[in-house]
Amino acid sequence: MADRFDSDSLLALEKAFLKVPLVQLRGSTSKAYKNFEKESKHLQTQIKQLQNEIALNNKVDADKIREIHENIEKWLGSSKLEFLEAHREGQKHVARGRQRVDHLSEVSLITNIYDPKYKEWTGKRADRVIVDYLLREGFRDTAIQLARESDIESLVDIDLFTEAHVIEQALRKNRCTEALRWCNENKSSLRKINSTLEFILRVQEVIELCRENKREEALKYSKEHFKAYIDVNKKGVQDVKKTDSQSGPIRRRDNVKTISSDDPLYKQYLQMMGALAFPPNTTCKPYKALYDPIRWERLIARFRIDFYELNALPSQPLLNVTLQAGLSALKTPMCYQHENKNIDCPVCSPDTLGTLAKDLPMNHHVNSTLVCRISKKIMNEDNYPMILPNGCAYSRDALAEMASKNDDKVTCPRTGEVYEFSKCKKLYIL
Amino acid sequence: MPQSDCLDVVLYKDRAMDVINSAQTEYKKIETKHIDFFPKIIEKMQTSTLNQQITQDSTNEVETVKLNLMEILRSIELLTSQVNDDHKEFQKTISRYEKVIDKKWKQDITIASNPDAFVDKEPVLQRTIALHFIRQGKFKLVDTFMQDTQLMDFTTDLQEQFDHMYEILDAINNFNLELALEWAKSKRKELEQRGSSLEFDLHRLHYIKYLVKQQDRKGALNYARLNFNDFQTRHMHEIRRLMCAILYIDRLESSPYADLTSNDAWTDIQTTFTRDFCNLLKMSCDSPLYTSLTVGSTALPTIIKMATIMKEKKNEWSQQDELPVEVPLTDDMRFHSIFACPVSKEQSSEDNPPMMMPCGHVICKESLNKLSKGNGRFKCPYCPSESTSNQAVKTYRTVFSRMATRDVILGLIIVAADAEILTYFDMKF
Ligand SMILES: [Zn+2]
Ligand SMILES: [Zn+2]
Repeated sequence: MADRFDSDSLLALEKAFLKVPLVQLRGSTSKAYKNFEKESKHLQTQIKQLQNEIALNNKVDADKIREIHENIEKWLGSSKLEFLEAHREGQKHVARGRQRVDHLSEVSLITNIYDPKYKEWTGKRADRVIVDYLLREGFRDTAIQLARESDIESLVDIDLFTEAHVIEQALRKNRCTEALRWCNENKSSLRKINSTLEFILRVQEVIELCRENKREEALKYSKEHFKAYIDVNKKGVQDVKKTDSQSGPIRRRDNVKTISSDDPLYKQYLQMMGALAFPPNTTCKPYKALYDPIRWERLIARFRIDFYELNALPSQPLLNVTLQAGLSALKTPMCYQHENKNIDCPVCSPDTLGTLAKDLPMNHHVNSTLVCRISKKIMNEDNYPMILPNGCAYSRDALAEMASKNDDKVTCPRTGEVYEFSKCKKLYIL
Repeated sequence: MPQSDCLDVVLYKDRAMDVINSAQTEYKKIETKHIDFFPKIIEKMQTSTLNQQITQDSTNEVETVKLNLMEILRSIELLTSQVNDDHKEFQKTISRYEKVIDKKWKQDITIASNPDAFVDKEPVLQRTIALHFIRQGKFKLVDTFMQDTQLMDFTTDLQEQFDHMYEILDAINNFNLELALEWAKSKRKELEQRGSSLEFDLHRLHYIKYLVKQQDRKGALNYARLNFNDFQTRHMHEIRRLMCAILYIDRLESSPYADLTSNDAWTDIQTTFTRDFCNLLKMSCDSPLYTSLTVGSTALPTIIKMATIMKEKKNEWSQQDELPVEVPLTDDMRFHSIFACPVSKEQSSEDNPPMMMPCGHVICKESLNKLSKGNGRFKCPYCPSESTSNQAVKTYRTVFSRMATRDVILGLIIVAADAEILTYFDMKF
């Protein structure tokens, strides 16, 4: 393969890079709009009610008129503020999006892989990939510092991961409030991906109330929050699709997904209701499992999956994905044979990347390759191998260069023996 | 580079630009839309007839109030639907751009990876990252990372080494070679053994500095007398050339020695120095993590394509020893000599080593066994000569028994230039 680079390989990782600011921009405008629309509907109902009253009584209540006028003014005023705020917020995302598009377009200035710009660009990309890993693993201080030092703050998603981090920390402290608030803010998007996050968060809340022996509250809570999920007629748990607020006029969705009674969700619900009767130290199997703290770990994992999906982020760190691909491509059996190691080969370092690559598949080769030990260049018809009297073979170019600088003598880097260049013989590769 | 390859580069480049250009065009639309989206909404809210209606002092007359309320309701509905339209239009602009992105990146890249591959190896991964930071001289970052990860502080020695390396590189960057020379002199033996001429290269550059930057004939001569002596035997030719250049000191640019004035030498010496410094530490010139990530992104399209096909066929690949397809590598990313048998296309292994027939052609043992069917004479698949499996095995014993376990793997097919060379055939590449 020539030393070319192509768009597919240079831009392979960049989908989320471009998409994340878009998702954020969409979110920032939707929030202001949703509030505007919600309040508008509310006002319309209010006015219609008043109209009915007036028609009925043929009498005007001046206080009510004033109240409506006040509400309208409040609505217009707060919407204006919210839209302005959304505009400011959106501008941030637009600017970040622009910086990202511009950053990708720097690729057009690179002429080949030996161009210093290539190294600069791919170096920045490596930093981005590492920051993504650090943020996902919760090493925030390192991530922020690296982003600042490498001047790539607009090219990574510190704010987004901070949002996730806060919610995760709360879950880690066995608190659902933040996660539930997030679910509420992203209701329609979560519904689109059939997320069960809110449901299992609610189940967990009931379990926690039971753990504290607050059975009355637990019962009240489940009555309040699971009503939406229970289809009285069908005796099952429903994913109730409420009005789709994004599509404007009220439209009821009738394709309610009814979950049969053997659905795991329904089982969870039934178990949870059962938990009301069992104390936290129960030995009864299904209920004991409900009180298991491991459920919190699973909740965090579930939250991560949904959070990443909603924000167009890949489910695994880019570092893991890219590193696996790279290590597999580089891995050869020689990497694990002491006498065949090449210090330039990443997989050959036993303590670090060699360990990571251990269980990965190695690359497939259908053609032979001869690599010159001195120049690390591939030997071929133009740069053919030459054999030294001691049996070591190196590329012609490397030996010739060495000879030109050393009075026509070459030194074997393996043994340190010195020979006349003229004593080296050409090998023919067919 | 063959012509077809040149063409490929152009084509690939064009494709890269296609994606980026359409991203830019779509993005411009979003920017423009965003600039006028909110002001437009706010303007509508201000010019809406609602504002007049609610400021009108409503009398208590029932009919007027009824009319007024109807007007207000209509205005609210109108305003809401107008804002709704604007909002929808803006969202559509975003969606159009999202579609461009989705079209370019059809596959989810995680299809190419095994989520469990690094399970229980987090400390190793973190160690790799820490080393990467050290390699880049980001020592403060390493400290933060150690605190974040609670990794053991294992890197002090290495930090000192790289601190020293960056100090020297900084000096070279300011055209100061003293530190580099001091280091090279202290490592003279190791460097010479590796065939590196770094020390001489540094002296040479120092001399050229007198010649080009300072145009100091006397200083140059003096420097040469003091320092070139140790290199007389190995670098006589180059020293002669350098000394001749002094005759043209006031017009080097137009002399046969114009190449000496190039500033590239100063960046080249940094590369050479970094390589030698790292190599003496038994480390690669580039950070291995950087190398792996760069190769990884190059490899991803191929692996994604392969993984997609394997998934359709419900074949598992991530647990296999070898990828089902070859991931192409650029020449600078091939670090090991590899023998792939030209007959079976399989890579050689200890059990299936490359074997040379008396004619000099090399195939792997399994292929050889198949050809000879265990007995008698057979013809080399690449030339007219015949041999017996016994002969081949004999060659293998004398030549390849050691080679198979070394890095010696014979690539392609090697034919000795003359019979005499066969005596050297303990080859190492
Ligand atoms: Zn290796
Ligand atoms: Zn032959």
